[in-house]
Amino acid sequence: MALMGKLAIRHRPLSVNRRQFVLSTLALGGGLMIGLTPYRESMAATSAKPWEGGEGTEFTAYLSIGPDNIVTVRSTTPDIGNGTFTANPMIISEELPLDWSLVRGEYIPPERDLAEGGKYSTSGYLAYFSGRSTEPEKLHELLQLAASTRERLRQAAAEEWSAAVADVTVEEGRLRHADGRTLTYGEVAEKAATVELAEEPAPKPRADWAVLGKQSRNKLQMPMIMNGSTVYGIDLKLPGMVYAALRQSPVQGGRLKSYDFEAVRGLSGVRGVAVVDPDEPRAGLPEGFRAPFGLTASQNGPQAAIAVIADSYWEAQTALDLMPVEWEAGEGARWTSTQTFYDHLSDRLTNPVDPNIVVAEGDAEAEIGDAADVEAEFLTPYMDHFTMEPLNGTALVEADRLEMWLPTQHTQQALFVGADETGLHPEKVLVNQTWVGTGFGRRVYNDDTRMVVAVAKTMPGVPVKVVWSREESMRQGRYRQVMAGRFTAKLDESGMPKAIKSSIAGAGAGHMGIANSPYRLAVPNWLIQTQNVNSNLLTGPWRGPGWNSNCFMLESFINQCAEKAGIDAIEYRKTLLAEFEDPAWIRLLDLVKEKSGWGTDQGRGIAQGVAIGNWGMGGYSSTAPVGFSGTTVATVVTAEVSRRGDIYIPRVDLAVDLGSLINEDAVRQMLEGGVVMTLGAAMHEEINLNNGRVVEGNLDSYRLARQNDPSLPLEIHVHFEGLSNGERFSEAGEPPMGPPPPALAHAVYKLTGQWLNRMPFGRQNLA
Amino acid sequence: MAVTINVNGQSHEVDADPSMPLLWVLRDKIGLTGTKYGCGINQCGACTVHIDGQAVRSCNTPLARAVGQSVVTIEGLSADSSHPVQRAWTELNVAQCGYCQSGQMMAAAALLAQSPNPTDAQIDQAMDNVCRCGTYLRIRSAVHRAAELA
Ligand code: FES
Ligand code: FES
Repeated sequence: MALMGKLAIRHRPLSVNRRQFVLSTLALGGGLMIGLTPYRESMAATSAKPWEGGEGTEFTAYLSIGPDNIVTVRSTTPDIGNGTFTANPMIISEELPLDWSLVRGEYIPPERDLAEGGKYSTSGYLAYFSGRSTEPEKLHELLQLAASTRERLRQAAAEEWSAAVADVTVEEGRLRHADGRTLTYGEVAEKAATVELAEEPAPKPRADWAVLGKQSRNKLQMPMIMNGSTVYGIDLKLPGMVYAALRQSPVQGGRLKSYDFEAVRGLSGVRGVAVVDPDEPRAGLPEGFRAPFGLTASQNGPQAAIAVIADSYWEAQTALDLMPVEWEAGEGARWTSTQTFYDHLSDRLTNPVDPNIVVAEGDAEAEIGDAADVEAEFLTPYMDHFTMEPLNGTALVEADRLEMWLPTQHTQQALFVGADETGLHPEKVLVNQTWVGTGFGRRVYNDDTRMVVAVAKTMPGVPVKVVWSREESMRQGRYRQVMAGRFTAKLDESGMPKAIKSSIAGAGAGHMGIANSPYRLAVPNWLIQTQNVNSNLLTGPWRGPGWNSNCFMLESFINQCAEKAGIDAIEYRKTLLAEFEDPAWIRLLDLVKEKSGWGTDQGRGIAQGVAIGNWGMGGYSSTAPVGFSGTTVATVVTAEVSRRGDIYIPRVDLAVDLGSLINEDAVRQMLEGGVVMTLGAAMHEEINLNNGRVVEGNLDSYRLARQNDPSLPLEIHVHFEGLSNGERFSEAGEPPMGPPPPALAHAVYKLTGQWLNRMPFGRQNLA
Repeated sequence: MAVTINVNGQSHEVDADPSMPLLWVLRDKIGLTGTKYGCGINQCGACTVHIDGQAVRSCNTPLARAVGQSVVTIEGLSADSSHPVQRAWTELNVAQCGYCQSGQMMAAAALLAQSPNPTDAQIDQAMDNVCRCGTYLRIRSAVHRAAELA
């Protein structure tokens, strides 16, 4: 059993020489993107274990320079493959030229934020939320920090040389005197931190930027990915660590009835068994403390579970699989099949129960009456995140301390979940962010962290790594919100919609992307109503949550209206958007039209479909269109349908406006990946129910896009010429999840006359 | 039971059940965690290693099968990430989260050893590893690029 003394507990010096710079606000001009300088060196000093702190002089929590000349740039948001660790040093290097081989990424852990009065999370839950690496305020703060640090380094070097500051210039990682002498940043860092400047320098005007939006850089962690040294949560090894394999109630919401540990106690490596009782009261948080996403039963409450603990994961899992366990199914068992639930959803669309009226403009009911010109019923099913790295986490629980190592998407949320589960004061909790093998929203609420701690607290003093098998990960999801929608419309003499009714029912049914659609400006009567209807399955954010359903429904419906009216679907949208203040929508439609060759002869058996949408516009609760916000995506999908009914996608064109870019290739990469993920999901993915249990457990029954999938796009062309290049630096991860599926459905309609209104599309016979 | 296996040119004495999947022997017994667990049922390819030059899915390979053979994992693909596949992957900025990429690169290296200039169809066939980040198009280009670099 582990001895505490042997553990490598994180050495976490609070800063020496920390100073706060007075930040000045910059007036930014509208810089233009010019040609890219490819930057492909793969050397970097970033650690395989990014939670381990390096040494050095700390200028602020975001920047340290070590005597070895390693420059550490810290962030609060996890890098889950989205490039946080790379974007931040790129911003620094705009003002403080860096030797890229000596740059290292690190985190500002949430306990430091707590200890310093929450000053790194003034932006609320977003501060530690993965997915966003760049916020305008953060950008300004880092640019100022870099400029101020540069001037201090120059002055320190000048003093060292007894020279004039004007004779000292900076180059990548070094200071140079006019006479040729050099010093590294590291050699003068300590002195620089004590320099008092008469005045803080102003960062350069945006027009002079040479890095941001001008260069693309590989992720700092790329070299470690290349040789397999990146430590993801599941790879963590601590002295004395034991491994637990977890099983939660197979019917979500059920209870553990009985188990027979004696049957497996003697198996190789087995150490013990742990039971998690959801009914045992949890501690809650002390007065004045709040988890960023709250602590609620459905988001991160404990589930009935049992775990076997052993010397290796394989031994633990083998014993768990052999151990007799019985469960009380509970309420969820009434969902005998997926169809039972779909029927229930459809019934609620027909007979709404107390719907939430989100928008009631004009009188859509009266205008449409019983004579809708266009009518469609849509369904988007439950889907699993299929985090490539199965759920896992490690915790060491002691009498007065909890330390965790987690592949999480929100360390701050993890901290409070850990405090709640152990009853320890939040100030006694430490969180180490490991590398993460995809998140997509699955690791935000930290229900996984809850279960890790619940198991680990049965073995105080011993670090316990808890691993969900793939089957367990898939059957204990927080699934993509299932959603059904019925849309009806009345068209006017010119074929444009004069009234639309959108009725949506599903798990956490929301209005994002519909209530704030700019089409509303052109449709005088629109009724939008939602109903929250779910089975026993737990749901959660799934890349582009809510919107990935709503965008599909609305854009498919608009295509159906355009086809009914016999009007080109791009022209139809341009008419709908004519009054909208943000010209980017029409600009992107024109761009994607031109780039994809829309309207030209595509050849026999090939057709194109279109869709557009905006992720993040005006925030989640906005019920009116807000121009110049969020990320707008327009797409044309080119498709073919074989005689056997297989869908092929020779090409996807995507035009985006997210404002401005920091790291172009990173954005392009994420958009491409999103197109692949959303089209693969639309084609194949669906989680099914059987007496409240999840049917699919692994890739033999849950199909994902693959290299040899006929419907994998052969080419994806991302177009940045429509960027508005303003102050906005919006997201790239979630936006591509919306428009591609409805654009594909549109192309397939043109080829077959059939509308794909229900996902997964692959189930519909097109032959 | 103790057996000896050769991994990346080094001998390791392992005390494990001969039926234990090579994946878990590599990860939890030998401590080589570059080889990943994705599905455990021979479906995703995250656990791909080479046994005598062939791409094998280690989750579905018992330890016993590796005895007397030479096993290569991502950590041993090259000493300094200079294998053409690693160079091409870096050049084309393939990886997103990176979790699937050791398996992808091991599959690509085995493919190129057999077919130095693979066609798209050969790539599609040999590279059916899952990437949830959706990096497939870059993977395909990177395999072609690696073929040029080799
Ligand atoms: S883990 Fe071996 S194929 Fe998926
Ligand atoms: S790069 Fe993330 S799963 Fe492939």
